Amino acid sequence: MLQYILPATGLLFTLENILWINIGVFVGSVFAAIPGLSVILCVILFLPVTYTMTAIPGMMFLLGIYCAGGYGGSVSAILINTPGTPHAAATMLDGHPLSRQGRTKAALKIALYASTFGGIFSALMLLFLGPQVAKVAAQLGTAEYFMVCVFGLTIIAGVSGKSIIRGLVSACLGLLISCIGTDPMTSYDRFTFGIPRLYLGLDLAVCLIGLFALVEILAKAEKSLGELHLDTTKIKDDGKITRQEYKRMARPVLMSSIIGVLVGIIPGTGASEASWFSYNTAKNLSKHPEEFGNGSVEGIAAAESANNAVTGATLIPLLTLGIPGDGTVAIMLSALMINGLNPGLSLFTTDGDIMYAIMLGLILVNLFMFIQGKFLTTLFAKVVSIPQEILTPIIVIFCFAGAYSVNENYFDVAVALVFGALAWILRKLELPPVPILLGLVLGRMTETNFRRALLISNGDPSIFLQSIYCKIFLALIIIAVAAIIRGKLKEQKAAKAAAVQKESN
Amino acid sequence: MKKRLLSLSLAMIMTVVLLASCGDSGSGSGKSASWKVTCPWAPSGVAAMVSQKAAAKSTQYSDTITLVAEAIAGDAATVNTWVMDTEANDPELVFVGEGLLSITSIIDPSKLQFSEDDFVFVENLYSSIFVLSAEASLNIKTIADLEAYVAQGQEISVAVNGAVGSEAFLAASLFGKMGAGDNLKLVAYQSAAEAAQAVAKGETQFAVSHQSQIQETYQQGSVSVVCAFDEKAIENGPFAGVEGVGQYGYPYFRNRCFIMARAGTDEETVAELKELYDNILADEEVVTWLQDTMLLEVDTMSQEDVDAHLENVKNIVNEYKDIVAG
Repeated sequence: MLQYILPATGLLFTLENILWINIGVFVGSVFAAIPGLSVILCVILFLPVTYTMTAIPGMMFLLGIYCAGGYGGSVSAILINTPGTPHAAATMLDGHPLSRQGRTKAALKIALYASTFGGIFSALMLLFLGPQVAKVAAQLGTAEYFMVCVFGLTIIAGVSGKSIIRGLVSACLGLLISCIGTDPMTSYDRFTFGIPRLYLGLDLAVCLIGLFALVEILAKAEKSLGELHLDTTKIKDDGKITRQEYKRMARPVLMSSIIGVLVGIIPGTGASEASWFSYNTAKNLSKHPEEFGNGSVEGIAAAESANNAVTGATLIPLLTLGIPGDGTVAIMLSALMINGLNPGLSLFTTDGDIMYAIMLGLILVNLFMFIQGKFLTTLFAKVVSIPQEILTPIIVIFCFAGAYSVNENYFDVAVALVFGALAWILRKLELPPVPILLGLVLGRMTETNFRRALLISNGDPSIFLQSIYCKIFLALIIIAVAAIIRGKLKEQKAAKAAAVQKESN
Repeated sequence: MKKRLLSLSLAMIMTVVLLASCGDSGSGSGKSASWKVTCPWAPSGVAAMVSQKAAAKSTQYSDTITLVAEAIAGDAATVNTWVMDTEANDPELVFVGEGLLSITSIIDPSKLQFSEDDFVFVENLYSSIFVLSAEASLNIKTIADLEAYVAQGQEISVAVNGAVGSEAFLAASLFGKMGAGDNLKLVAYQSAAEAAQAVAKGETQFAVSHQSQIQETYQQGSVSVVCAFDEKAIENGPFAGVEGVGQYGYPYFRNRCFIMARAGTDEETVAELKELYDNILADEEVVTWLQDTMLLEVDTMSQEDVDAHLENVKNIVNEYKDIVAG
């Protein structure tokens, strides 16, 4: 490794690379901040630009977009209660409430700091433990993937609000919607009603626009303008994060970075899963779980560090085994292959300097993301002071343009509208939308891995308990369920005590 | 009230203008030098990568045509939309393979809102020879080894990309012809790379994949490569010498990617496009890249070759569809 570091440094620290990193970071931040314009779409759009470049500047540009996209999604989540990208949905739960408390700048800063830490942490993991970690990840099979999904579904309880039942109803709806499209195991159509576009299933980014962005617009339409305006005269948003808050952020940031890396190295999973796992873990371990959902700094820090910790981790299986960790990284594979580089362990000996330059470059990307983020935060924070009558139409436009751009099809615009209407009805019924999102994220993956595992084992369910990894995930599921029950019992006890006190008064 | 009206008007005007301009981007006057090439498969897939490479080379070989590569995953849905949105002589090209024209057209024809008559063939972008890999511990390295293993009569599990894709039919035809159709279990994965990994993990005994997708796993010794789905042994690359199933009389087909223009496009224009693609595919750098990095072959074709290929695949699909689709 050491013999490659010096030549790699020489290859990396050129003006061209620094320039491309910064362009990538800027493009990624802005793109991801716009609902519907996902990171993957941005990478696809800008991929052709890299074909005229050599491997390192090309990868630096794409990594800039990828990492900054991880952070950029949080901007709209915090400012307008609409995640710019699916993986920023968990950030929204606390980021927007904190912004509504007049601490927009602070919320954006927490997201930036946590994102940078997560990104650098995973870049270091890639640099020092890449090949070893990748070998472990490569052993995870269908049964283990299913257990990861089940563990993911336990999060529903954490994001259900006051009623788990309502959360479960929403989650079931999400799982049901995820069944729309071609059956992944048999190729037969399900719930497509003869509509040709439906057999592809529904795009998560499009559903997200309806569920979170359009419903907000509808909700705003119900209020008077006076209710919508934030009284900025009384708010002094200096963006200051107290020492106490920094202390509280430390543990969730570290834990979530580890979770982000662990999730990222498993091909097929991604930043969305990582941010939800981390958010839930942070809530379970927090001394102030009651603050989650109401502007908790721990919540923002956990979600953001996790989704950026995924960025380096997804590169681990790509660079060491040639398996892309997620969809965006799969696109980046093209940038390497176009330059004649076929990723895998053998590339570390034939083109070690290039491989290490890319890995070191990831650290650099995160540092530039931090520097640019510091300047952009001030700019982004001003969004909240834009009058609603101007901001709202702009959001609507971005939503429709974003929905159209996913597949360049008006059908997706209609899907976003349907989901907007659905979310509005659910809001009236007091059914939380976040479990629907979880159902959509995990539904297809859960179903496919469950059915495939049973196909492999000829219907024997013991496949889910055979490997050591399955047993570890089972233990985690049991711990998560126990924590949920304990939390609910505590809540009931507190409610009883409060009632008794009220009676005695 | 005024503010509400202002807000509403602003939103409506911007939406109409934006969506109208979005819709306009797909059409062209026919005189434009830019030809949009739509790949209806994953942007990270083999076809999308080769298309991007060809697009990057197009300006080198033509002053009048610039290829602009685009990938919109969606398979039949994307091609349906393309057919609906284009007319003869529009500067638009699309990729269609045997998967749509020979497999989906038989297994699930309702998904297709087009037929071969809606296209005019320009060129074949590449040929890919699929390989069958086996879990290393099975120690199956040749077709003879495979035949001996199959003769034992035990269950055979094969990882494939998609439930009814080309890989599934290649596996079904090979094991079906060996008389093991009843023992065959096809395990569908979401991508070719995932299927290739499944055999290395021991989830399945075999996998059918592109050569490039199994290369790294093979080099690490987790799998052995048993045979190639081609007439003869593989000639180049890390799998050179691997026997072709055709040598033993088993059915096979190569995976091909046909570049199509809209039916009715001027013959002259089609000839110009074909010449451009032929020049790009003869470029030494492209040939070396296809062969060494992508493990693909340049395989330019005529309309007759295309018809023969599609007919061959259709015959295989008709013969083995019961094994694949049940």
